[in-house]
Amino acid sequence: MDVRAIVLIGGAAGDGPGVAENIAGIPLAYLDVLGVSVIERVQRRLQRFGVSCTTIISDSPCDGGPFAHAVPSLPSLPHVHAETEQFWQAAEETFLKYAEDGADLVLALRVGPYVEADYEALIQHHLDHRCAVTMAVDGEFQSLGLFVLSASARNDAAALFKNRMTRMRRDCAPFFVKGYCNRLRSSADLRKLALDGLLARNEIRPQGTELKPGVWVGAAARIHRKARVIAPAFIGAHAKVRASVLITRGTVLEHHAEVDCGTVVENSSLLPFARVGAGLDVMHSVVGFRRLAHLRQNVEVEISDEKFVGMVPLTAVSRLAGSTAALFAFLPMQIYRGLFASSQRNSAAKIPECPEDATGAALKASVLEVPATGAESSEFPSNLAVARRYGDE
Amino acid sequence: MPEKMNLKQARKFLKEVEPFLISDRPQVVFDMSQVRHIDAAGVDVLLRCMREAMKHDGDLKLASLSPQAAVVLELTRAGRLFEIYETSTAAAKSFSCFLPNAIRHLYEQPLDSLLQMPAPEAHSDGSAGLAA
Repeated sequence: MDVRAIVLIGGAAGDGPGVAENIAGIPLAYLDVLGVSVIERVQRRLQRFGVSCTTIISDSPCDGGPFAHAVPSLPSLPHVHAETEQFWQAAEETFLKYAEDGADLVLALRVGPYVEADYEALIQHHLDHRCAVTMAVDGEFQSLGLFVLSASARNDAAALFKNRMTRMRRDCAPFFVKGYCNRLRSSADLRKLALDGLLARNEIRPQGTELKPGVWVGAAARIHRKARVIAPAFIGAHAKVRASVLITRGTVLEHHAEVDCGTVVENSSLLPFARVGAGLDVMHSVVGFRRLAHLRQNVEVEISDEKFVGMVPLTAVSRLAGSTAALFAFLPMQIYRGLFASSQRNSAAKIPECPEDATGAALKASVLEVPATGAESSEFPSNLAVARRYGDE
Repeated sequence: MPEKMNLKQARKFLKEVEPFLISDRPQVVFDMSQVRHIDAAGVDVLLRCMREAMKHDGDLKLASLSPQAAVVLELTRAGRLFEIYETSTAAAKSFSCFLPNAIRHLYEQPLDSLLQMPAPEAHSDGSAGLAA
């Protein structure tokens, strides 16, 4: 059976007002969760279930804008960019193209929600009930933006896309998804998805090596030996954790993220290329693209001060130039310090002079461990004897 | 406080409040409800104001923090150094809560009755009050 898929990124208008589904204009579906973007995870899952062909339709121009390099590209998949007005029309056209190409069934899913559905069971349910369109719902009977369409039911497909996947032409028995679901509406949902992955509550597995139980580290990540990473945690590829940093309570650092010296990152996610300054407390937050979303205060703040939150240069050339400039600024300063600055080394501690009285003399005898002739002295030949004799004094 | 607390605005603000801070026992409340952007210079000014107030046996309290200000104060660990109140009134009232019982009632009376009375003893110590 030829099953193909249309993955829709955006089109959140159907879910009502106040649904952002993006951070700084970048759809959450494009952002990394534990090393791999949500959209790539969805696509891998579809491939695993034998979906032969997938088309991504997006209403966000991700090939432009200041953060274009932060967004992963999926060159293997056909990608259609359609503005809001043409978004659903593009979906309908793709469906028609699939139908003409000989597909039997078409999966239409909006990401939007991240759903770990059993596609085999969903297709079987669709075939058993002989529906034109089958809708997947969660336990509360809410649509998950996942539909199976028979390729022959063109009118039903057209009606579904015209109604922005909120209403169907004909009612049919819904399919209850028993697997993991995340609505992925806000940065809080993105954080929850990452945390659930770390805690193995879903099928998302961190992309990296498990250095110690619960601590995953991506390729070429650099963690200073004085930094402390407490499990569960994920340090993405090329991420940098500098000296005296504390990473704790399920913190996730995506690729190329940087945490400067002495900062505490607790129960937070740092998005790709995010940089957090030195000596800060980042708690219960999602940080990225010069923004900080505080999950407890439920507020998203744009931070313009690079000392607090900034961006690592997006291209490798810019990063190299920045590192070289920093090195050339650092070296002369160190040479100057070495030549002219006063040494901070402490002088050797002086041995206190021995008091003249009898008690002092006894102390002196013990400290210097003058070999005694008595049995007591031979019983305590080392410094331990000294401590025991005079510890109470 | 101004909407933007960047280097330029923070310096200007510091100049404005400095006379109050160097008075004897200054009791100062900063209303931060209007603050939309605050950077490192802004936080630095807050800390300098507090240091100055404490140097003169007074105190600086913050009130009505905007979400932006609250996030930055938490991020920089500066929030724990200040007493923070929901409203300016609550912050101003808090200055009187450790006064001796003999004079506390003067602060608890309504404003009208206070205005009709002669200068209260509590102010004879020269303490200054400001809600910025």
